[in-house]
Amino acid sequence: MKRLLLAACAALLCVVVPAAAQQQGVTADTITIGAHGPITGPAAYIGLAGRDGMLLAIKEINAAGGVNGRKIMAVFEDDGHSPTKALAAVKKLVEQDKVFAVMSVGGSNATVGAVDYMKEKGVPYYVSIASAPQVTWPFARNLFRGGTTETARYGELYAEFLTTHYKAKRIAIMSGREEYPRNEGDATTDKLKNWFQMAPVVRVEFNIGDKDFTPQLVEVQKANPDVIAFFGNPAEAAIAMRQAKELGLKQPFFVGSNMVDPALITAAKSSAEGVTGFSLIPYLPGSKAPAMVKWQAAWKKEYPSAPAGRPNNFDLLAYGDMYVLAEGMKRAGRNLTTDGLIHALEGIHDYRVGPVATPRTFSTRHHIGNLALVPMMVKDGQWEPVQWKSTRESDILQRYH
Amino acid sequence: MRARSPTIVLIIAVILLGAAAATMSSYPVYLMSLAMINIVAAIGLNLLTGNSGQISLCHSSFMAIGAYASTLLTAKLGVPFWASIPIGAVLAASTGALLGAPASRLRGIYLALATLGFLQIVQIAIEELANVTGGVRGLGVPKAVLNGAVLGDYARFLIVLGCCALAIWTARNLLASRVGRELNAVRLSPHATQALGISVHRVRLAAFALAAGYAGIAGGLQAIVVGFIDPVEFGVSASLRQITFIVVGGMGSVTGSVVGAAVLSALPEALRPVKEYSDLIYTSILLAFLIFLPNGLVTLWQIVVRRLRHSDTLTTIAVRP
Amino acid sequence: MTPTLALQLAIAGISVGSIYALVALAIVIPFKASGVLNFGQGEIVTFGAYSGLILTQLALPYPVVLVGVVVLGAVGGIVIERILIRPIVKTPEFTLVIATFAIGLLVKGAISIRFGDSPNSIDGPFGSDPIVAAGLRFNPTSLWIFACTALVTLGVIAFFRFTRLGKAMRAVSVNPEAARLMGIRVETVYRWSWAISTAIGALAGLLVAPLIGVNPEIGQLILRGLLAAVIGGFTSVPGAIVGGVSVGLIETYSGVLIGSAFKNLVPFILLMVLLVFRPQGLFGAPEIKRV
Repeated sequence: MKRLLLAACAALLCVVVPAAAQQQGVTADTITIGAHGPITGPAAYIGLAGRDGMLLAIKEINAAGGVNGRKIMAVFEDDGHSPTKALAAVKKLVEQDKVFAVMSVGGSNATVGAVDYMKEKGVPYYVSIASAPQVTWPFARNLFRGGTTETARYGELYAEFLTTHYKAKRIAIMSGREEYPRNEGDATTDKLKNWFQMAPVVRVEFNIGDKDFTPQLVEVQKANPDVIAFFGNPAEAAIAMRQAKELGLKQPFFVGSNMVDPALITAAKSSAEGVTGFSLIPYLPGSKAPAMVKWQAAWKKEYPSAPAGRPNNFDLLAYGDMYVLAEGMKRAGRNLTTDGLIHALEGIHDYRVGPVATPRTFSTRHHIGNLALVPMMVKDGQWEPVQWKSTRESDILQRYH
Repeated sequence: MRARSPTIVLIIAVILLGAAAATMSSYPVYLMSLAMINIVAAIGLNLLTGNSGQISLCHSSFMAIGAYASTLLTAKLGVPFWASIPIGAVLAASTGALLGAPASRLRGIYLALATLGFLQIVQIAIEELANVTGGVRGLGVPKAVLNGAVLGDYARFLIVLGCCALAIWTARNLLASRVGRELNAVRLSPHATQALGISVHRVRLAAFALAAGYAGIAGGLQAIVVGFIDPVEFGVSASLRQITFIVVGGMGSVTGSVVGAAVLSALPEALRPVKEYSDLIYTSILLAFLIFLPNGLVTLWQIVVRRLRHSDTLTTIAVRP
Repeated sequence: MTPTLALQLAIAGISVGSIYALVALAIVIPFKASGVLNFGQGEIVTFGAYSGLILTQLALPYPVVLVGVVVLGAVGGIVIERILIRPIVKTPEFTLVIATFAIGLLVKGAISIRFGDSPNSIDGPFGSDPIVAAGLRFNPTSLWIFACTALVTLGVIAFFRFTRLGKAMRAVSVNPEAARLMGIRVETVYRWSWAISTAIGALAGLLVAPLIGVNPEIGQLILRGLLAAVIGGFTSVPGAIVGGVSVGLIETYSGVLIGSAFKNLVPFILLMVLLVFRPQGLFGAPEIKRV
């Protein structure tokens, strides 16, 4: 038995891997970038896409000569959508793989698990997809948010759109009980109150994974809204929209930005027609716009055996953000340091790799890369941009002085 | 008789690990802390399932109670971690007794379902009481502070190491004592036990409370080591993972808990290179263990030892006494 | 609540309850026959939905898809029973519980990797336009599900009562040793009980797919199925149906009456109360209370 106990200690020590030699992630001919995201578990469609989009960008950049004569090498770790695992992932990346910078294509809770550690270490941490507020507030020099915008911004745009595009006076909100949908619902309610002195006529919640929305829809129907704002996941939206039709609800649906995705149309089919929402990217996969067609062809060439539903929005977000990070590294020059990268990123203004991405702007005051969203509507089974522009300035940057 | 040499081994192991960890970076130290937290949880579960024979699918819920209670005590009332974690554990143990009162009258799948139901209830409670618990957004854990100094990775590792050693030591002594005999007795022969005048129900209930107490400690430790907790960390997957620790390690023995938890904590790390297939491979390896070593890794050791010894005298290494 | 609303909710409750009933049935049958509780049953349902997806994408007509899914489910069950369950059927109960759960995880993992996690969907056989009658709206798919559940239930009851294999199964569930002595091949009975249960589970997946989409998380249905089985009593076929429909109705009504915040608590509190006071459910055989 005592030998077994010692064997157990040995097993424990097996989790230990000898530390690598001293490096800061930059050698004469390579820059090593770390990344984490969920590639196992129910959120795998986010992490796998984030990884693939990022790696595609890196491949293109390296093929075009790299960054100031150096090739980019990426190490990707699974975070399983869990803060415990995300922390393990970034510790490994920073301490064992000795990466120069870390990109997060993970969800909010996982990223929050890693944020304190990354702040402590000072390694540049570029968050592409997670929308947790902790990334940009309180301000930390080495943290940047790329593709996803601030939750409050969603509220601002949604509230304005619902009141001006739909000219709605009665707005119903259905939101799921998870961080992202709840934040969207809260932010929208908040801005409806502060900007338009309006309250939603009804706010109902549902659980992520619910398969039946009859109770909630019945309540919504009673309140007789002009438009129904739905914040959840594509699978739930599809069921809810179908059931709404069955119950005789005629109101149009407005969905949160994570549902502005071809997946919604695949799941909801004809019930999705006429649905609107805001997108983080100018064109969705499947769009006929020439820039998207070209990009998708390049993607399919790189990943010929990917399952249906790919590429998705996360491929594009990570792709665009990787280019932003690379641009920062390029502008920092051949003598590449952490400070140099941060300084270069803060100088980026309205940069994007091409029409398939939205522009990023950072400054020394704030590291919120994206405040612009693109309004879209489902027309003939395809998400197409809608002619609408916001006329109100965002309140968000006011607190960064 | 049995307590002497294993205690020395334990002390040696503690010193060795403590010294080794001082030389390592925070990544392996963090992983070892997590593994030891798993060991503490596994020990508790093994007392309940392996020794007293009661299946439980809600072990992680008691970890949740310990984690959230200690975190909230520190965050809202400023209670330092070295008090809030034990208090959280007591709370967890009380909840365990509360559940155990009705649940320990159930057997087999009914007990499994009752514990599953309890787990769901705790999950929903955490998610719905979001003003207090942070709900699905999770809860940041205040940094552990001692004498005004924030404890770093190594300091927290030592705390976890100490608690783990204590858990092993107390569990071993417990099992060697009358309590341990009662636990095994109610599993092996409840009728005989009852006939001897020992209240089977009381013993089973005590087992629930004990297991929950260990889980509560593990939960509190996890909170300060990771720094962030959310309900998913304490969901069905976590409970099932803990069951796999004791099934793979060996049910009914502390060594089984230690070995199972250590090996299965190391396995995901070893599977990192396989990326998105790691879950699949982990499950396959688990199934392989279940098919070929259904009584746990400790039996592997016995098979090896028996073959090496080749003696006529019966080796009385009883896994489940 | 108006009578119309109450009826409309009842329709919704019964239709979702029929799915729970099928899942409960799929759980009860092997438990009755061999005492094995299949915790991976949820993933069998997922497997059925995805089989339906693949077959539909091959442009096969619906009746062929239906038969195909049932057959695939049965074959899958036989394979699993042979390769994975048989070796461990003699091990402690806990091991079996974990093993069935692990098998479920394997199936789910394989599906996730092959298909990705983005939602897919297939259409019901009768379209999705609601049938309006007497001021109530009926989803044709829900009606179809109800009809299929009723047919399956009758089929299973008839199977157990009139066929040789069915009677053999009942004999084995009462006393396997005596059954063996009577010349019944117990292993064959086990294998067929698995095959039937996985076939029913797969069918449930195909039936429910038009309502909830095709995605790897369908397996969560098992929680409701287990609750239904407890309500009905783990050893009763009609009990599983009654249990399933009850869970569906309770869920739908409590959603409206209590609000969705704590709606999900109701099934589990109900479960706990039942287990404490009447674990054999409505129709099950009462267990002799041991110490």
